[in-house]
Amino acid sequence: MSDGPLIVQSDKTLLLEVDHPLARDCRAAIAPFAELERSPEHVHTYRVTPLALWNARAAGHDAEQVVDALVRYSRYPVPHALLVDIADTMDRFGRLTLANNPVHGLVLTTSDRAVLEEVIRSKRVAPMLGQRIDEDSVVVHPSERGRLKQALLKVGWPAEDLAGYVDGQAHPIELDQSNWHLRDYQQEAVEGFWAGGSGVVVLPCGAGKTLVGAAAMAEAKATTLILVTNTVAGRQWKRELIARTSLTEEEIGEYSGERKEIRPVTIATYQVITTRRKGEYRHLDLFDAQDWGLIVYDEVHLLPAPIFRLTADLQSRRRLGLTATLVREDGREDDVFSLIGPKRYDAPWRDIEAQGYIAPAECIEVRVSLDDEERMTYAVAEPEERYRIAATAQSKLPVIRRVLDRHPDEQKLVIGAYLDQLEELGAALDAPVIQGSTTNREREKLFDAFRAGEVKTLVVSKVANFSIDLPEAAVAVQVSGTFGSRQEEAQRLGRVLRPKADGRQAHFYTVVSRDTLDSEYAAHRQRFLAEQGYAYTIVDAADLAGIGEVNGPDWTEDPAD
Amino acid sequence: MPTDAPPTLAAWLRTRSDEQLSALLVARADVARPAPSDVVALASRLAVPVSVDRALDELDATTLQVLDVVLLAPTDGLAPDALIAALPDLPDDVLEAAIERLTTRALLWGDDALHAPDPVRRSVRHPAGLGRRATELRLQLPTDLRATLAELPPEELAVLERLAAERPVGHLPDGPGDGGRTPARRLLQRGLLARIDALNVELPREIGVLLRGDRPYGPPRLRPEPAVVARDREAVDRRAAGAALESVGRVGELLGILEEEPAGLLRSGGVGVRDQKRLARELHIGEPDAAWLLELAYGAGLLDVGGPHRDEWLPTRSYDVWREQDLADRWAVLAAGWLTSVRLPSLVGQRDVAGKAVNPLSPDLVRHTAPAIRRSALAVLAEYPAGSGLAPDDLVELLRWRTPRRADRLAPVPALLAEADRLGVLVGGVLSTAGRGLLASGEDGAADGMRGLLPEPVDHVLAQPDLSLIAPGPLVSELADTLAVVADVESSGGATVFRVSEGSIRRALDFGWSASDLHDLFTRSSRTPVPQALDYLIDDVARQHGRLRVGAIESYVRSDDHGLLSQVLNDRRTEEAELRRLAPGVLVSGLGADEVLTVLREAGYAPAGENPGGAVLTRPPARPRALGRRPGSESTPVGRSLSEAELAATVREIRAGDAALAARRGEAVRQVPGVTTASTLELLSRAVREGVPVWLGYVDAQGSGSQRVVQPVSLVGGFLQGYDERRGENRTFAVHRITSVALVEEEQGAPSAQ
Repeated sequence: MSDGPLIVQSDKTLLLEVDHPLARDCRAAIAPFAELERSPEHVHTYRVTPLALWNARAAGHDAEQVVDALVRYSRYPVPHALLVDIADTMDRFGRLTLANNPVHGLVLTTSDRAVLEEVIRSKRVAPMLGQRIDEDSVVVHPSERGRLKQALLKVGWPAEDLAGYVDGQAHPIELDQSNWHLRDYQQEAVEGFWAGGSGVVVLPCGAGKTLVGAAAMAEAKATTLILVTNTVAGRQWKRELIARTSLTEEEIGEYSGERKEIRPVTIATYQVITTRRKGEYRHLDLFDAQDWGLIVYDEVHLLPAPIFRLTADLQSRRRLGLTATLVREDGREDDVFSLIGPKRYDAPWRDIEAQGYIAPAECIEVRVSLDDEERMTYAVAEPEERYRIAATAQSKLPVIRRVLDRHPDEQKLVIGAYLDQLEELGAALDAPVIQGSTTNREREKLFDAFRAGEVKTLVVSKVANFSIDLPEAAVAVQVSGTFGSRQEEAQRLGRVLRPKADGRQAHFYTVVSRDTLDSEYAAHRQRFLAEQGYAYTIVDAADLAGIGEVNGPDWTEDPAD
Repeated sequence: MPTDAPPTLAAWLRTRSDEQLSALLVARADVARPAPSDVVALASRLAVPVSVDRALDELDATTLQVLDVVLLAPTDGLAPDALIAALPDLPDDVLEAAIERLTTRALLWGDDALHAPDPVRRSVRHPAGLGRRATELRLQLPTDLRATLAELPPEELAVLERLAAERPVGHLPDGPGDGGRTPARRLLQRGLLARIDALNVELPREIGVLLRGDRPYGPPRLRPEPAVVARDREAVDRRAAGAALESVGRVGELLGILEEEPAGLLRSGGVGVRDQKRLARELHIGEPDAAWLLELAYGAGLLDVGGPHRDEWLPTRSYDVWREQDLADRWAVLAAGWLTSVRLPSLVGQRDVAGKAVNPLSPDLVRHTAPAIRRSALAVLAEYPAGSGLAPDDLVELLRWRTPRRADRLAPVPALLAEADRLGVLVGGVLSTAGRGLLASGEDGAADGMRGLLPEPVDHVLAQPDLSLIAPGPLVSELADTLAVVADVESSGGATVFRVSEGSIRRALDFGWSASDLHDLFTRSSRTPVPQALDYLIDDVARQHGRLRVGAIESYVRSDDHGLLSQVLNDRRTEEAELRRLAPGVLVSGLGADEVLTVLREAGYAPAGENPGGAVLTRPPARPRALGRRPGSESTPVGRSLSEAELAATVREIRAGDAALAARRGEAVRQVPGVTTASTLELLSRAVREGVPVWLGYVDAQGSGSQRVVQPVSLVGGFLQGYDERRGENRTFAVHRITSVALVEEEQGAPSAQ
């Protein structure tokens, strides 16, 4: 029996013991065909899914390599049936191919007639196909390329897409690396994406996804459409692009609720594109406004459903998805994979932290006991009210104050989901509040003040969940959230992960009400953090040590300084 | 040996040597028991149609083809040379071996000319796939058959050719009797086909032979030589071990689930679809897989019907033993159970004649031929050297050649092979070492073959901050049991991933664990530092646990007179009753009601027992178990083979009987059994006196008759003692069982002294 680092489970999960000497080699060998599902401290879990296997096939790996990797690194005998199943699954890929035919345009061809017959008879697929050319091929309506691929994936006969991409209208873009350099993993991510044509790059918050986007644009050297979550994020993109590339302010347009500019590089928000007037999407022509050579989807895990549909029409353009985590609470990860493209690159957060590109973080959950009155209110509340009551309990306030007091000299964010609670906190802590109704101008002003250190504490709603670059924020306190969203947890943690100038640690606090839904949801989110490799600590509010005390934070600065 | 050939089968048998007779009895064991009294009896047993069929069923295609040639010979009795001419493509040694096989089994007899006994002729309906002769079919064939055939329209000729190929009998196509429309009906009218019943027609042999041209017996049916699949032995064993690990793990999980919640027994037997679905869901496997595991567990005797009303499928007592065994032994139990099972799991889900799908564990899955088929299929593979075997299709092909008359039984073979693959007996057509062990020496062999390939149990887990515990291998059963309580299984296989949750900690507390026990457990069993979150979780749940209390007591004492109860409680004489006050008006005790009653009575009180309808059980009853079958009680449909000694004895018996038959008899006395006539006694006493051997007709206590020649020694008290030279034994014969007596004539010499 060999002593490999890998244990293959019957449910096709792979357990990788990270402290094993061969763990690194093994990770490299299994990464092409297995999704990293959890990466806690000692044993990482990968999952072999049909999609991952097909992506591996698309990337040029064959079943033999997969089986060989499993058998070679496995500690125990691998169930034969599982290997057979893997080979069978991989064998399904490539029986159908999508290619450009000089005469008929986009054509679906097969090397296995029975398969073509099967999919042609499938109700889901048939409407997207046109005229039968001969026994082995059938015309595809060019507009259906994306939807057809999606449908074929669902019926289990994924098509290999050889139709290629249009180059789009050329536009010179260069990276301006005079005082900075693309990091190794960013370089790898761009290479992985470019080699694959389209796809998703998964990097932790703060690891410089924008730069991956910029580098991809420099690679494409073509007009680019960038889709972002909101205007503030869009402006950040713009700033970064101007600073890091040869692009000038005039070349970058903003397409948002406020402005409708279309330039060689256009940054649009999801919101404006999905705005409907009289039941019609008003801004769809944006996609046709230019012969885009590259479309970048920022925070692709938030991609709204209408954009999925639009994206299906854009299969001939290169697409790059960027995200910190592909977990979607709506379970539509598969749609992301089939429409944007497979995951081209990901790296465990802890690896990047170890390289010093993101700040190390300490995660602490503080449990607050509700007082008797609150407990009674909670106990008799309607089920749909319960979470709000628990999350916004008054008893949290003194604890939040204590937490903030532990870090007198740091830049702090208090993050919550309920506006009245935020208003209250803002008043009690004497800190400005940023929420949905805050104007963009006001937001920019406050963020600037925060960056400059003029404002030490900001109270923010979930508008700040995403894409706000606040490099100096080192402490985040979340007081309420959107139920148990893991996605949100990752984003909020991301707010404090930008590397600090002096390399100091970030602190991520969650204040929860004990024995309520709040703590249940917290457990759900924390499991996610733990799975990302963050160890977290749970303390009772009463045990929360103050600054300089046992178990408390160290003095960060000499008071005499 | 007489110069002229023996005229009958019996006479020919008489000329066979003892060894040849032994071989006959081995090959056709069904005629050997009870021992035939003599050669004539042996010959008539050999003629029993069932016995002939069975013997023919065991012959391979080549041998049957040789037999066909003899059967088709125009005259009875065919010289071996003629056989060679008839089957030119058959190598001589193959032909000789075939003849040897046939004569050994007395399916053909004769030395210079081979004769086929009539029962054999009857048993082979269509020798070489040819029909009966035209005369037998009462057909008058045209004189110039060849010319007639040459003139036939092509579609009619095609029908004839089809019937000439393999099976001379065919269905008439459906259709109204609009005579002469279809080629077959036209052929009937021409008198080239014979109608044998309303639906079927038969092609006369003459036409078949003619159409086949120079190969009237069809192409030579040589043993197929399929391509041998060769695999690396080590790789095969590793894969087998993977399959074994999976099977053992899955069956264990399945039984664990059934232990918690048994599956219901359907009225028609078996497990219902709902339970099957539930098991599949809980095990995260497909429903057919769940059915297979159920069958596997049942075959190994780990699962059976039990429960208070005998209406539930429960793990058996053997399961408790099984789970303590090491992995290799556990696997061996499963594999051996599967090999000898009379059930075909592959039939689950198939529809019966009524269109109803067959349920797992249903009695409808029983096929008594299953163990024989399984063993014969695997035995073929075992003939190949280690590391090589056959692809399933080739194996079926080979089996079809080996026993063509039983080809219909081979339908389940591909499914059986797939099952063997799943178990790890077989890996892609190659037997694993353990699989060979299983075939050669059963359970022990299987376990030996698997030992060392399966991981050693581990006694630790890795605790992770996401509250998962990973057991990096099969756990020692003690820790597995513990973890089953304090955590939920999330994924299983080579390793097991457990998850600790609030619910699972609460369950552990419910089982009587304390928070500190749990802290200890994790500290002790985890190789990695216990995450703070886990410790916190334990304390947090423990803090809330037990605010409501539920307890169990054995008996209670209640009274409306609270003062009396206080008196009882404080009475020193009632200390033995271990009473304590639970609430005003109620005392409870951990002792049984009888004991409390006794103590109170002895102390001078006058307590009355209450109806135990409300009594609470202190301990949950032991987990229910089905009785299960005892291992080895499975009936083996294959007859026990004869031992050497038995064989020798039987041959001796036949020879003796035969000698007796042949002995010339002098004065004979025939008597009605049970009535000892004076003449019998007189003849016997004369024989004793003169030392003359006697010929005895004798019926033994079991009622089977025999003839023997005995050298009498004494005649005392209604018993004749004598030496039976043929059988080489001294025996006592009850005179009242002697049916006839004759003196053996001396001038011939005692036949026994041949």
